[in-house]
Amino acid sequence: MIFPLIDAEAGAGGAGLGVALVLGVAFGFALERAGLGSARKLAGQFYGRDLTVLKVMFSAIVTAALGVFWLSRLGLLDASRVYVPPTYLLPQAVGGAVFGVGLVAAGLCPGTSCVAAATGRRDGLAVVGGMLLGVLLFAEAFPLLASFYDSTPRGTLTFPNLLQVSPAVATAALVAMALGMSAGAERWERRAGAGGGS
Amino acid sequence: MSASSSGSRTHRLLAGAAAVLAIGALAAGDRTTAGGRVDVDALARAVEAEQDHVTAVELAAWIRDRKPGLRVVDVRVAADYAEFHLPTAENLSLTGLTRAAIRPDETVVLYSEGGTHAAQGWFFLRARGIEHVYFLRGGLYEWMTEVVNPTLPADASPAQRAEFARTAELSRYFGGVPRIGGGSGPTRVDDPAAKLPRRASDGDGAGAAAVQRVRQRGC
Repeated sequence: MIFPLIDAEAGAGGAGLGVALVLGVAFGFALERAGLGSARKLAGQFYGRDLTVLKVMFSAIVTAALGVFWLSRLGLLDASRVYVPPTYLLPQAVGGAVFGVGLVAAGLCPGTSCVAAATGRRDGLAVVGGMLLGVLLFAEAFPLLASFYDSTPRGTLTFPNLLQVSPAVATAALVAMALGMSAGAERWERRAGAGGGS
Repeated sequence: MSASSSGSRTHRLLAGAAAVLAIGALAAGDRTTAGGRVDVDALARAVEAEQDHVTAVELAAWIRDRKPGLRVVDVRVAADYAEFHLPTAENLSLTGLTRAAIRPDETVVLYSEGGTHAAQGWFFLRARGIEHVYFLRGGLYEWMTEVVNPTLPADASPAQRAEFARTAELSRYFGGVPRIGGGSGPTRVDDPAAKLPRRASDGDGAGAAAVQRVRQRGC
């Protein structure tokens, strides 16, 4: 058995969709158990009260990075076939800013909005509806946006290529940074919890 | 209180596991199958020192002596391999080569018809971090001229004659026909060992015909 189980270029066949469904349900379950279906949790991140989102994001990144490194090191994963989205500097910066505004305003991201909707939260349903509306508007407006969408291409960038270090060094540095940041976040939360109370 | 302390213990355990895996990653380095890092200087030095290839006679001796861990790999297409291949050789395409499992104690000798594809395969395997790799310098063509049909010039020096005696012995082991006296009217070496039964592993008739075809195609 060689990962990735689904070849992105082979198209989404029935088996691929089945694997995606199982992974998606598991992901949603984990998000819900971590309390990320609640907009308060996400809002807490932006008010600096609760850094759960930061820790969740980086634990996910560290898990994936270590998983990809070790599976390919042991010959179980063909890392060259893992899809790395190409970078388009300007459109992705603007898209990121729009996404950020929506994230702060709604207190939910696309994944957690689905979790919130699935658990019957009305704000979750509203965000899912808004997201679908946005997708529709973007698709309709795409001819107008196309030239901007494809501007400032930088190809597929990875840290090892960008920094000219080996994947092992990049992975280790990433893990060290994430662990340091998590420890700092814990300390910050304890101080914020003990000091303010409000 | 106890719930949160057990939670923080789990967190510390997970953080510790991540740290161990990260330090392990540094220690293990990157010898991934897809896109390993290449020490170009070391490879260039190996080529300059002629440590990258073997001659047909050297390979023949290795095969005959059953050199431990020897793997002879034919990188030609399967049809050519089926028609004729060196004794003990296995067939692997160049793309198959980049994924083939090779133990560190194995010695791999690659050969192709001329030698170019085998030399390229040598680079692929060295890039994967596999140390003991060689290619047959002149390919099957060299095998045909040096092992199967070695020829000693009539005006050879005594040193050349002594060398040829060893080669002739190898040649006969592989069912070859050593000759003395250049192109016109080849003479069988007058040597009792010449009467030994031929022991080539491949079917003699089919092998000889394929040899003829390879010779016609040249390199």
